[in-house]
Amino acid sequence: MSLTGTYYDGSTSRAEQVELSISGDRQVHILGGSVDHRIHLDDLMISDRIGNIPRALELPEGARCVINDNDALDRLLGQLDYTGSSTSWIHALESRWRYVVLAIVITVVFSWGMFVRGIPALADQAARALPTSIDHVLGQGTLKILDRGLLDESELDSATRLRIQQRFNTMTKPLEDGNHYHLEFRAGKKLGANALALPSGIIIVTDELVKLAKTDDEVIAVLAHEIGHLIHRHSVRMVMQDSAVALLVTTITGDAFSTSTLVAALPVVLLHSSYSQKFETEADRYSWNYLVDNNIPTGVFADILERISDDGETSTVEKYLSTHPGTQERIRMFRMGSDPGFR
Amino acid sequence: MDTTSSKNTAALPFSFTGRTGEYFRIWIVNVMLTIATLGVYSAWAKVRNKRYFYGNTSVDGAAFDYNADPAAILKGRLIAVAVLIVYSVTVQFVPATEPGFWILFLIGLPWLVVRALAFNARNSSWRNIRFEFSSNYREAIKVFIGMPILVVLSLGLAYPYFVCRQKAFVVNNSGYGTTEFDFNAEPGAFYSIYLKAFGLLIVISLLYLFVIPAIIPTAGATDTAPPAPPSPEMLMLALLPLLVIMTLYMIFMTYIQTATTNLVFNSSRLHDHTMISTLHTGRMFWIYVSNLVSIVCFLGLLIPWAKIRVARYRAENLVLNTRSDLDEFVAGEQDRVKATGEEIAEIFDVDLGL
Repeated sequence: MSLTGTYYDGSTSRAEQVELSISGDRQVHILGGSVDHRIHLDDLMISDRIGNIPRALELPEGARCVINDNDALDRLLGQLDYTGSSTSWIHALESRWRYVVLAIVITVVFSWGMFVRGIPALADQAARALPTSIDHVLGQGTLKILDRGLLDESELDSATRLRIQQRFNTMTKPLEDGNHYHLEFRAGKKLGANALALPSGIIIVTDELVKLAKTDDEVIAVLAHEIGHLIHRHSVRMVMQDSAVALLVTTITGDAFSTSTLVAALPVVLLHSSYSQKFETEADRYSWNYLVDNNIPTGVFADILERISDDGETSTVEKYLSTHPGTQERIRMFRMGSDPGFR
Repeated sequence: MDTTSSKNTAALPFSFTGRTGEYFRIWIVNVMLTIATLGVYSAWAKVRNKRYFYGNTSVDGAAFDYNADPAAILKGRLIAVAVLIVYSVTVQFVPATEPGFWILFLIGLPWLVVRALAFNARNSSWRNIRFEFSSNYREAIKVFIGMPILVVLSLGLAYPYFVCRQKAFVVNNSGYGTTEFDFNAEPGAFYSIYLKAFGLLIVISLLYLFVIPAIIPTAGATDTAPPAPPSPEMLMLALLPLLVIMTLYMIFMTYIQTATTNLVFNSSRLHDHTMISTLHTGRMFWIYVSNLVSIVCFLGLLIPWAKIRVARYRAENLVLNTRSDLDEFVAGEQDRVKATGEEIAEIFDVDLGL
């Protein structure tokens, strides 16, 4: 039983055409040109089969015999009950379509589960393990950056500020979650009517939002939503989730190659927005509970949401994005006021 | 396999024999095992992947081979991931440290580049002779720290010169066995590429400025009407400029990439052998765009098809012109000596695709 191969001694690039034969007692004979090698099969390293690429039989002194006919080599080794390397089973997976279909299913199910459940759960656990002092460092720097460019000093009259501040204090006093709650009034400029929660407990509310609100209850509903973000530590969790997604996507799509790098960014962006929608729902739930517990009609949150989304000079695209069904759905839920399976 | 063809003067085309169906199966099994092992398998996946592409690329009847040890790559990946985590966590929580990291990275860059090129070269072989890369740190510091400073000081005008020096550094320090590669392109050739690219950019931008408003009269109008739900057509109009800019950018980048690849191959020689690369920008652009669209439309399942297409097109446009025998190359000695520091160095080679 013999095969043809090409022999390279490893010290020069010269090729020698050889015949390779293996006897029943596993003695390999490589013969051709100036080559006449006898070696035991177990002293050879045979590279794993990948697709149909030429396979190398590595000899101990660094020489190689390259075989192009993979099927013939496999038949020969099969007859000798040759057990390949510890990774030779991978080729068996790769060569049968039923395993390939299974691989597709496993991949889709696993990555779906990982992105939808696994990563958020891991980030949640990690956030619980992290001390809240990390949130403080994260939040302090951010307020300074915002004050430098995006926000101006508030121009609200002190009576309004005092009223809202007092209600904010009543809201946050019973909370003992490690955050130091603190309300900041700012002119929103380009941010318009908005409220932001910074980790460590800083909540910023813009003059525009306070003016847009018809009642203080509407402002309180928004503040409760922001407190919800802080209680659930969304900033820290988001940082961790985004990094985990980026890491996983890079691992899956593999080595950089011009078009897939662009493609790899897409799931990161899509998942980020999906995660942030989930966090919005969590914050909404907190606001909902607060309103119900304090006998404030939940419709106030719907009113202010509606006015915020109608407000502001946004471009066509931005408008399209901000009026996505999510906002409409949120408004509808708070307006119905009858707890539509939301709690 | 005809060894007499390698005697004397001959034009030996490269060929690529990878097949989409076959590679798809390898790719999906790689992905599945990587996920199932939470990334541990990715090192083995990388080696299998590279071996598939190397093993299917051949010239003069002999295929290339990739010999890296997956365990070494895994070790490298773990450290690289650890560094990445330390970096991103620190920067998230103490943003003030970011410039420090960048300075550290810039200082470490020449070392990283050299180690990456060396790792890749030493694990690539043809006819059982490994490629080599000499670790010329002094030159690396000049090219990867000195030149970028020059680029900044010259307000970008020195950029093509920087690219030229960079390619010269890579080619001149590379070798096949004991035989060294030589690079003989002049900076002028790189300037010519960038000048043409910017010419192209200006022509297309002018077309865009004058032709688009003529086709779509409402594109420049401001939106004063009361807010109405945007129609799909409105959305398309709003997205059109973005699409045009992306296309423009891709043509620009594809031209630079294609022309540079051709120039580098055509200016490199190994002993008295030369190479001819004849990639065409339009064809390359079509491959990239159709790849991108198909990958997005089929949720990534066409990535294997896309990779095979690119590899085939590149190989089909590369020819090795030999002037003498290809049997005379002699293996280098370095790969038999294992330096102690090498292990740590190899580690960072991993995630630097060049």
